[in-house]
Amino acid sequence: MSTVSRGVRNAFRNPIRTGGVTIILGLSVGLALVMLLSLKAVQGRIDTVKSSIGNTITVSPAGARGFDGGGEPLTQAQLDSLKSLPNVTAVTGTLNDRLTPVTDTSLASAIDPGTLGNRARRATNPDSANAPTGGPQRTFSLPVMVTGVGAVTPAAVNATSLKLVSGTTLDAAGTTNTAEVGQALATKNNLVVGSTFTAYTGTKITVVGIFDAGNQFTNAGLMMPIKSLQALSAQPGQVSSGTVTVNSVTNLESAVIAIKAKLGTAADVVSQQDSATNAIAPLESIKTVSTYSLIGALAAGSVITFLTMLMIVRERRREIGVLKAIGASNIKITTQFVSEAFTLTAMGAVLGVIGGLVLANPILKVLVTSNTATSTGGSFGGGGGRGFGRAFGAIGGNTLTTLQTTIGFDILAYGLLAALIIAFLGSALPAWLIAKVRPAEVMRGE
Amino acid sequence: MLTVTKLHKTFNSHGNLVTAVDNVSFTVPDGIFAAIIGKSGSGKSTLLSLLGALDIPTSGKVEVDGQDITKLSDRKLIRYRLTQIGFVFQGYNLIPNLSAIENVMLPMEFAGVSTKQRRTRAEDLLEQVGLTADKLSRKPSRLSGGEQQRVAIARALANRPKLILADEPTGNLDSATGKLIVDLLHHLAKKQNTTIIAVTHDLEIARQTDLTLKLADGKMTVASSSAAVPEPAVHAAKAVHA
Ligand SMILES: Nc1ncnc2c1ncn2[C@@H]1O[C@H](COP(=O)(O)OP(=O)(O)OP(=O)(O)O)[C@@H](O)[C@H]1O
Ligand SMILES: [Mg+2]
Repeated sequence: MSTVSRGVRNAFRNPIRTGGVTIILGLSVGLALVMLLSLKAVQGRIDTVKSSIGNTITVSPAGARGFDGGGEPLTQAQLDSLKSLPNVTAVTGTLNDRLTPVTDTSLASAIDPGTLGNRARRATNPDSANAPTGGPQRTFSLPVMVTGVGAVTPAAVNATSLKLVSGTTLDAAGTTNTAEVGQALATKNNLVVGSTFTAYTGTKITVVGIFDAGNQFTNAGLMMPIKSLQALSAQPGQVSSGTVTVNSVTNLESAVIAIKAKLGTAADVVSQQDSATNAIAPLESIKTVSTYSLIGALAAGSVITFLTMLMIVRERRREIGVLKAIGASNIKITTQFVSEAFTLTAMGAVLGVIGGLVLANPILKVLVTSNTATSTGGSFGGGGGRGFGRAFGAIGGNTLTTLQTTIGFDILAYGLLAALIIAFLGSALPAWLIAKVRPAEVMRGE
Repeated sequence: MLTVTKLHKTFNSHGNLVTAVDNVSFTVPDGIFAAIIGKSGSGKSTLLSLLGALDIPTSGKVEVDGQDITKLSDRKLIRYRLTQIGFVFQGYNLIPNLSAIENVMLPMEFAGVSTKQRRTRAEDLLEQVGLTADKLSRKPSRLSGGEQQRVAIARALANRPKLILADEPTGNLDSATGKLIVDLLHHLAKKQNTTIIAVTHDLEIARQTDLTLKLADGKMTVASSSAAVPEPAVHAAKAVHA
């Protein structure tokens, strides 16, 4: 028999109390575990949402979007001034231009005009505005979109991914007349790495790589180094838009404010900040609930253990005195009582883990429904019709309905850890009481 | 040899100072069976707890073989209680959820004796105190008072202490059983050359001892000794015991 095994045995001295305490501790450990699991699940989802939303801010000339709208262009110098703002990690400019087949370039467009192209043409061309809408479509070519990029990133070409299919990545900082062309454009014009085409009054441009951006529109265009494009298109120092990268999604808002302050009325500053906030807000509130519940459950467990141990220590004052009188040290006696507390909490933990396994997902579901019910009203849908308001509304919805706790083997480790923490917190004061018991008390009040 | 010099103990009880042991000096030679007698509240238990290092005196010295135990560090105090002292209480004070043999093994566990040796010695001791083999694994609640006190004596002897301190060891027993217990204590202590100091109300028992120390209001008034111990023994009970 050792000190520890005596402690374990003592845990069963009063079976009714042991049973009761085990059940209550099981509830608190189980709750703590469920909260820990949902915290993990929610945090994982927050990270996914944040990374899917991206940490970039788009800066465009005030009143203009691509080739629509009007106003004055932004300059590279204006963009460069943003590099010194707090939390900004990178600023790249892009310049968009359109090459009309035959007149401007040797390239043919990879996209047929179709219904949408004709509709757009009528909208911008007063001649065709009166044309009957159901009439025959005129044949014309869509322009080839060329983007001067400061860095080869998906954001620079308005895509979510960008893969190099063959050749090398464009040297975006250079000034050579080279291009990385989209897959569709390459196929249409039989371009391979090393091929050349002409643009801007016969300038020869060499293909260094072919990319796949995962969408037809981007794949029908091409990228060139921004400086080359500025020179060729006679727009020195000008940019159509800038992409500002911020170190973290959480700093998007402050960065947007700083950029607006810097550029004033010259630019429109757009980020997915609102979408991010909307998608994450209900998750954050689940996180908060889970965190407080976790703390609460652990605290309740500790308090129960504490009160139980307090009761036990008071009950066994004389026994503690006897142990001291026959030569036990405070450390030995305390170890014995901590072992007893740990046995109680470990049994609670086993019960709690089993309960947690069964209840984790149902509880998470309850948390989710009660939180979405209060936060969906208006915040997801009302994006002003620009398209991604709705898109992110969908993400927000998915985020919540597909949330699932993952239960692995680490659950047992967590349960045991919770039990240990509870046992130690709950034994701290009783241990102090043990140390205070005067061994001479065994002589008294027999 | 146990030498007590000007031992003094006061308690602060709700603001009043209570003197429990008042300037007591005496000597107990090795191997002696000594009795402490006195009225209730005269300070007998307090004196015993000072001798057993369960409490610290207000002033004075308790010397065991020349070493003052009142000056020991906490660690050495625990060691002293563990190896030099065996306690026997009126209420037996066995650990209720341990069996008879486990109770006897307990002090040896604290002393670091191997499990096998603990068991052998505990069996041996319980046989010596006359507990039948079928009762070794019984819990104290299933033993009679006399049997419990036998187990308590075996426990007190476990680490071969130099000094056995017994506070009214027969107080809860009928006089016949009480006499058996005292005889047993006496017999075993003699065998190990262990000194016994026993608090008792029973003058019959006190008469059998080698030395009687009488307390009244915390002061030591009379000490009488059997023929083997020359008088006066209050300040120097010299050991000449056979
Ligand atoms: N911890 C304490 N606090 C306050 N007073 C105490 C304490 N311990 C003992 N006393 C007092 O000291 C005196 C001696 O007590 P003690 O227990 O030593 O007497 P006793 O001779 O053993 O009595 P009894 O025969 O009834 O056991 C008593 O007046 C008692 O009230
Ligand atoms: Mg007493």
